[in-house]
Amino acid sequence: MNERIIRGRIDRSGVLVSADTPLLRLQQRAGSGLGKPLALPHLARLVALAQRLHRDISRPMYTADDHSNIHALVRIAPDADGASLEISDWRTGPTIHPQIPVIADSALTRQGWTWECDQQLRVVALRAASDAPSVPAGWEGRSLSELFELQPDEDGRFPVLRALGRQSRFDGQRVQADGPAGRIAMTLTGEPQFDAAGVFVGFRGSAELAEPQAQAQAAPLPGAVLTDPAFGSLPLSDPQFGRRIDGALRGPLSRIIATAETISGQFDGPIRADYARYAGDIAHAGRHLLGLVDDLADLQNIERPGFKAAADEIDLGDLARRAVGLLGMKAEEKGIRIDAPRVDDKMPATGEFRRVLQVLLNLLGNAIRYSPENSQIWIRVDRADDRAMITVADQGQGIDADQQAVVFEKFERLGRTDSGGSGLGLYIARRLARAMEGDLTVESAPGQGARFTLSLPARD
Amino acid sequence: MRMIESVSSPGIDPPSSTLSARLRELADYLAAPAAGRLTEEQRALSLGIARRLVADVAARLDPAIDANALWADWLRGGVPGAERLVDHCFARAEEHRWREQSAHRNVSPAPVHPDDATTDAPGVDTALSDVDRAYLALQIADRRRFDALGNPALAVGDLDAELFRALLIDIAAWRLAEISRDTGRAAQLGDAVRALVDRQAEEPGIADAANAYHAILGDRVPQVAADAIARHNWPVLIALAAAAHRRSYGDMALSLLTAQAAALPSLLAPLQLDPMALAPLEASLVMLPSRAVADGGDDDHDGPAPSGQDGR
Repeated sequence: MNERIIRGRIDRSGVLVSADTPLLRLQQRAGSGLGKPLALPHLARLVALAQRLHRDISRPMYTADDHSNIHALVRIAPDADGASLEISDWRTGPTIHPQIPVIADSALTRQGWTWECDQQLRVVALRAASDAPSVPAGWEGRSLSELFELQPDEDGRFPVLRALGRQSRFDGQRVQADGPAGRIAMTLTGEPQFDAAGVFVGFRGSAELAEPQAQAQAAPLPGAVLTDPAFGSLPLSDPQFGRRIDGALRGPLSRIIATAETISGQFDGPIRADYARYAGDIAHAGRHLLGLVDDLADLQNIERPGFKAAADEIDLGDLARRAVGLLGMKAEEKGIRIDAPRVDDKMPATGEFRRVLQVLLNLLGNAIRYSPENSQIWIRVDRADDRAMITVADQGQGIDADQQAVVFEKFERLGRTDSGGSGLGLYIARRLARAMEGDLTVESAPGQGARFTLSLPARD
Repeated sequence: MRMIESVSSPGIDPPSSTLSARLRELADYLAAPAAGRLTEEQRALSLGIARRLVADVAARLDPAIDANALWADWLRGGVPGAERLVDHCFARAEEHRWREQSAHRNVSPAPVHPDDATTDAPGVDTALSDVDRAYLALQIADRRRFDALGNPALAVGDLDAELFRALLIDIAAWRLAEISRDTGRAAQLGDAVRALVDRQAEEPGIADAANAYHAILGDRVPQVAADAIARHNWPVLIALAAAAHRRSYGDMALSLLTAQAAALPSLLAPLQLDPMALAPLEASLVMLPSRAVADGGDDDHDGPAPSGQDGR
């Protein structure tokens, strides 16, 4: 609300004898000025009313110039020489023809949805037009970017996020959403909404079904064979893909995990035990997906032509102890003892520090995941000729010869269907090892546990 | 029909429906010549709201119902239970006119400089507070009261059970006339009516959302209500006032929309608003043309102020 008071003075004959600037400007726009009769009809009538009643009156005042509507509150105090004016809550707004539909009929086809979100992009309305696919259940309050998986435009930008920053309209935001029969490609258009104080309160717009070719990309035909079941449609050659994946997936996933953990932890009060357990499952699945996002970003990076790892001077013994420090708690939860290299066990090698640590965390994480409770894991460092080696051995069920041949393949989980891993970790680990002029190998037999050995160029 | 019987003249028997309507309208006019009449806009809005409600309920009852044919039949023969619907339709229509007016008169925001604009998704990690969650629920409940194009509608969850049941039965009766030879489907219709009546009780409405928001705000109600007035956020004001008065949202909306300015302070007394905070509300209501104000005529803001309206 505008708290400023605008003052003016009218004499007995209805002439404006003094006025603060906004009132004077209005009087001038109405073709009059100081020392001339008040040219604002509504205000003039109110002044006449106050003079007739011989008492103060306070009323809303409405007027307009050639390009804006003005409304305000005016207090008129009549006296023997005329009347004093005090105008407050002065608001202006552009002149708009009334009764414009909230969403123009022409803007929405019968196959589209309309939506509305608040300033935090939380969806508060979602409706389908008469011939449109039905809207997904449970949309209420979800994030717009969660409900509609945002796709970047040709410049790698997201029109809706840019419009959010600028509080402006947007169109051409390509998205994918859940339709009744699978993923559907749509295009979002939105108008910013403001309240009477000019504060941005959200967007309102439509989502139209995209062209058939975009639909085909959104929902591959059932049974269609892709050369790579996971990456066939992903722009792995696009250097910005890794960065985009963060914004598009990591944020929503983090929120899912945080919310599920809040529910699971019963922070807001007790809930049914099975619901808490379900929420725990959701958090677990969310963390799994987040791990997959990390792996996908990694994969995109290491499969880029010309990918090279740095040649740091590293000590495999030191890196092994760091990995144990990071995953020791997880092992303790299962009562697993890790026999790590002693502090004086050094094995100088050449490789990129963070990448070697990443490989070791993957090997040790797998060993913990697939080892029985109260078992033991050994980590040994060794050297053979010009190769420095580190081996992670566990007491798990082991891997047979056939499985060893495929364990480093993408998405190979050896028939496991639990939510433990993405099936990318070992593939990435071997790619990293080879990028550092080393290798990653496995020795195992059913029932005998597994021994994964990372070898790197040794350093004297 | 009572009025028709009292004013129909001999020799016109039976009167045509158009003639009946005209005579009824004239009888109403003669009974209160000084009262303001509905504008075409008010008629159209109310009729549209009724039509959307009928279509919505019909689709729930049986997706095979041709809502256009149903409505065309009812337009010819009269909408059954019209007297039950008018309060709801008129309240919703008037609220819509009010909100549209405010939306069109909103202040243009200061443009955001492109350099200041961020392109990060907002607050994805921010957990919603209980108050924010309740406000979000209120917004969602409010937006259920529009169709896909943003036209005003009545949400089934906001109807009282009797009205909903009566509407279902009227629509089912129309449908039964269509499929009278199919006894199996007639039985299905009956089952559907009972199931929908049971289910409606669980459907969240704006009254629940309003009560929850009012309760969770606690002693912040006056501040939030004042802010709602300053921002012309009329659904929040109506919701808080309705919850404070323990009245329905539609009743409260109609009370505000038909109140004289002098009555606003007492009407909103439970919200403990500062008298000055009411000024934008008063201004907004006075600007709304063709209001059915409590004195029976249109709001005449140029006339002498009733006692206590001076705002001193």
